[in-house]
Amino acid sequence: MAAGSTKKQLHLGFLAAIEVKDRGYVGGLLVTNHFGRPLEFQCTAPVRPNHTQEVLFGPTLVPYLYNELIGKTLIEKTGVKPNLVLTEDERILGLREHVDLPIGLLLVEASACPDSLRLGQQKVRFHDRHPTDRDVLYELGNLVSNETDLYEPFERVKQALQEALQQNKQRAA
Amino acid sequence: MTEQPANSPDHASPTFFPASTLPASTPSDLSSQLAAAFPTPAVSLPGLDMPVDIFLSGINGALVRQPRMDIISSDLVTGVQIENRWKPHRPKLPTFKLTFPEGIEFVPPKPEVDAPEKGKLRSLKPPVTNDEGVEQKKKQTRLKPPSDALSIQDRLFYLLQPPIENWLAGQELVMPFEPFDYQYEGIAWLFSRKSALLADEMGLGKTMQTITAMRLLLRSGQISKVLLICPKPLIPNWQREFATWAEELPVTTVTGDTARRRMIWEMSKPGIYLANYELLVRDFEELEQDGITPKFDLLVLDEAQRIKNRDSRTAATARGVNRKRSWALTGTPIENRAEELASLFEFMEVIPPKGTPDLRQLSRLSDEYILRRCKDLVLDMPPRLDRPAWLELEGAQQHAYKVAEKEGVIQLNDLGDSITVQHVFELVLRLKQIANFDPVTNESAKLDRLRADMEEISASGGKAILFSQWTKTLDWLAERTQDFNPLIYHGGVPTKHREPILAKFKEDPNAHLLLMSYGTGAVGLNLQFAGYVFLYDRWWNPAVEDQAINRAHRIGQKNPVVVTKFICKDTIEEKIDRVLQEKRDLFISILGAEGNTEASMGLNASEIFGLFDLKARDGDSTREIGPEPAAA
Repeated sequence: MAAGSTKKQLHLGFLAAIEVKDRGYVGGLLVTNHFGRPLEFQCTAPVRPNHTQEVLFGPTLVPYLYNELIGKTLIEKTGVKPNLVLTEDERILGLREHVDLPIGLLLVEASACPDSLRLGQQKVRFHDRHPTDRDVLYELGNLVSNETDLYEPFERVKQALQEALQQNKQRAA
Repeated sequence: MTEQPANSPDHASPTFFPASTLPASTPSDLSSQLAAAFPTPAVSLPGLDMPVDIFLSGINGALVRQPRMDIISSDLVTGVQIENRWKPHRPKLPTFKLTFPEGIEFVPPKPEVDAPEKGKLRSLKPPVTNDEGVEQKKKQTRLKPPSDALSIQDRLFYLLQPPIENWLAGQELVMPFEPFDYQYEGIAWLFSRKSALLADEMGLGKTMQTITAMRLLLRSGQISKVLLICPKPLIPNWQREFATWAEELPVTTVTGDTARRRMIWEMSKPGIYLANYELLVRDFEELEQDGITPKFDLLVLDEAQRIKNRDSRTAATARGVNRKRSWALTGTPIENRAEELASLFEFMEVIPPKGTPDLRQLSRLSDEYILRRCKDLVLDMPPRLDRPAWLELEGAQQHAYKVAEKEGVIQLNDLGDSITVQHVFELVLRLKQIANFDPVTNESAKLDRLRADMEEISASGGKAILFSQWTKTLDWLAERTQDFNPLIYHGGVPTKHREPILAKFKEDPNAHLLLMSYGTGAVGLNLQFAGYVFLYDRWWNPAVEDQAINRAHRIGQKNPVVVTKFICKDTIEEKIDRVLQEKRDLFISILGAEGNTEASMGLNASEIFGLFDLKARDGDSTREIGPEPAAA
């Protein structure tokens, strides 16, 4: 536990939103320490837009749902505030306009843009209009081991969302 | 009220009177008239020239104040501002929240100065690369919620934990060695269970898996106090294993005089408490009398077959310990009877007290609560092909066997109640020797079969190991298998000659047969270049036979190992095989695991007596003699 005794802490948020057939859209936010151990998990109830909303929102529907509705709600309600929220969905990067937290888009090395920063095995791209968001990685990014696969926690979030939906369905039945 | 300027030139009269008391006259006359009529002081307000105004309500209109006027400066308004009172509507979205407990972080001891490598992760396995030289993604073992976890909180708790490999990757928890895949699976299985029986075959690392699972549970805040009970001789072993696998965990061994032990039992600090079975029984009876109930989050019983008798004090005491989780460790959950497993399940609180599940229920419970792996299944080894060779004694050998059996049983019966297991044992040995070969005529059904098989093996360049329990039989066989250049390796061979024998067997392409005794050749030798094993006669215990077979069937073996067990029909060998097979069958029917045996599965005294139909004369009648069947 040599590394575990350090006082510096980096709380990472892993935000994922998925569309489930016939159920709508759900989102989950897993906050972990920099070793990947979970500290808090929040997930939303399914959101199902009606046909009118689909027509009126058009292509902005999903970004609206993911960012303003799901992402913003999850970040507002979480008790353990993350230092950095990571996402693997580019549409969620727009959440940065609605919250006061750095949002980073996870990229594989090959597809990373030049101004992205390394974190674990991956690279992170930040919102263009918030260049100071990168400071969090300059300050605390070295706490994450280079061996860490930051895509892995998203698998946990998605599996947890599926489980929550299944339980929800069983209760409804 | 309307205020008028006090110095208005139109209202110069300074005094006011109620209108009803005055006659109609001009204002200038009025003052003098009133002064005459009312000599008392009158209200006089000089300087105010205002009309007297009396209201119908009677309020005097003279309550007039001079207005005050100031000049203040104010910023100029440069533009028109309209406040935006409209806000976009954002529907409230219900959420579900799960907070994880903080967990206990123990401080590891400082590394020794002269051992700089200690504490660093040493990988036992090199990174796996594909054909293009790219490192492949390592296997990840995820925690699964147990079937009895029904609430969404419980299920998500397990699903959201990181893969065990990540957890133990040396960042948050240091591991001295990298576990095997099956060990990761065992750790994950234990972690998620409140009731568990880890029944891995001996040598697969039950201790390490248990310690690591405990470590993760402590770290994730699921448990705080652990009581581990083991046989007294194993206490130092557990202490050593904890120091190796979880150096940061505080281990308190319950030992010393009564007062010290009581102090330890009453401690509430988190950590591991290590005690032996005898102390558990003795101390908990005393504590109970004094109304003291130590509480633990996890109770682990090592060598849990110690509570196979559910009515024993040990079993009752273990069941009475106040705990939240119950784990049992044993390589032999069943030694003789299925009821032994029921006692373990009762400790694990998966059946009601005194519950008696049938075989079908036991099998179902085993699937859920028992994890058992065998070496050949988890270590990725080629299969072991067991091939019993049923042989019939013929001619002089058969005759010699029948005579010896008949005379032997008569002699045993004549001994009556003075018979001992030693007497029976001697007869069994004599009969087994005759089944190997007739000492008078040297006829042997087994030798005939061995020669036939060896012809084929030597022709294909193969090598075989033959085991017997008698050196005399091995020497006898060596004389009769010269075509295959046999080598002998048993206790009679001087130690300095043994290694060259093994080297010759490995390197000499003409040496096809190695004759070994169970006692000398069963343990510690690596003969994985041999693809054939013959068990010329059977040992009393399948565990010893398995150890012998494992000389060839071990890590490094590239081909399937063919094991031929010689069994002569209608002889004592057939009966022994049946008893041992029944034990194996019971084991397999409940646990569903094959190819595993343990030392305690050998024949007991009652079973040795049962090999013969022994009866003592009792007047005109007869009665069975021998010990009672073993109690559970």
